[in-house]
Amino acid sequence: MKALEALSRHVSEERLLDAYLAARRGERPDPPVAEHVADCSACRARYEELVQLMDLLREEGETEADAIFTPERLRQQHLQIARHIEHVGRAARIISFPEGLVRRTITASTMPSAPRWVAAAAAAGLFIGVALGASYEWGARGGHTLPGDMRMAPVATRGTSPGEVAADDAFLSELELALEHPHTRELRAFDAFTPHVREVRDSQ
Amino acid sequence: MSGDLRPVSDRTADAVGIPEPAVRARTAAVPPLSDDSRLAVTIRGLVERGEMDEARERFGELVALHQRRASRIAYQYLRDAAEADEAVQDAFVKVFSHLTSYREAWPFEVWFTRILINGCLDRRKAQIRRDRWMAGAEVSSADEARVSASHPGADPEHRLLARERRARIASAIDRLDGRQRTVFMLSHYGDCTPREISAMTGLNESTVRVHLFRAVRKLRGLLEAKL
Repeated sequence: MKALEALSRHVSEERLLDAYLAARRGERPDPPVAEHVADCSACRARYEELVQLMDLLREEGETEADAIFTPERLRQQHLQIARHIEHVGRAARIISFPEGLVRRTITASTMPSAPRWVAAAAAAGLFIGVALGASYEWGARGGHTLPGDMRMAPVATRGTSPGEVAADDAFLSELELALEHPHTRELRAFDAFTPHVREVRDSQ
Repeated sequence: MSGDLRPVSDRTADAVGIPEPAVRARTAAVPPLSDDSRLAVTIRGLVERGEMDEARERFGELVALHQRRASRIAYQYLRDAAEADEAVQDAFVKVFSHLTSYREAWPFEVWFTRILINGCLDRRKAQIRRDRWMAGAEVSSADEARVSASHPGADPEHRLLARERRARIASAIDRLDGRQRTVFMLSHYGDCTPREISAMTGLNESTVRVHLFRAVRKLRGLLEAKL
């Protein structure tokens, strides 16, 4: 009677899947499930269908991956891993410059590059130049006029003449005008979405 | 999949009935290690002693043991050979770099697969972000050519049908919910038991079973009329 009751209640999908997983691992499925599947044609058909689907998924997946990860590719992968771990656990290496170059550089920066008399001549020249300049200034302040009025007149710098100032103003106004509304058609849309300082300033 | 992950006490109970509590406690304290876990412990010792050259050499053995399976999982996860290749390399390098933190409480395979899956998940997120802006990354034509070349005897029609079938399977797996996909991949392509998947993902073992069952049911619905 119990056996008949058990047979009338079909095995759930979950238990069928458990039975499949156990069988795949080479383990014995749950005995009541195994017995029921053996005796019930409907459950056996469901189980076979499940096995067929799962085996197909597994086979397709493995075939596909194994076709891509060939022994040669796996060997390359192995080499890459070995290359990567070569540096693990090693202290960071300081790359040294070639010895000759280092010595040359040190020599160049620490050793005097010219004989001492050159430095002495440069110092003397500087001193004479400063002394002459000072005496010239004193002479000018003292009311002495140099022949042919050699006093230096103020040099007119560029842009200080009225014509040049006007030209600069015109250039700046052109620049402001250009910044107010871009003439490039592609930029107009961006300009429309961009808040301007002048608008913010005007609104305050 | 190596090693029985059931606690030693359970296995002893199966074999000789309910053992004495003291015996259970003693046996549970020394869980047997699988070959790869033992090797990982040896390498860890070498690293700790600073014998790095020897450690690197022995690590090559671990790579050889897990490389194919790792590549299969990563490829099924990412559907891109180059990405999968990098994910596997990254996982092994991470494992070597952090080998001193490996504990025998977990089988090496579980520890390694967890690192691999985390890397794959990060890469998948990046892929999804990229695909928002660019055309979706299908299996590259070079990869497809390699797969087709693996059946040199098959006629073009057969190859075309096989290619379409693979595309449908990949698309169906891709439509699984994130956790369902991870659980299905680990179970089906990684040969992991629900208990091992539970250790890898941090999900409860019964939750793993539920996700696996739902994944299979959904796949069946998606593929039933199409294969």
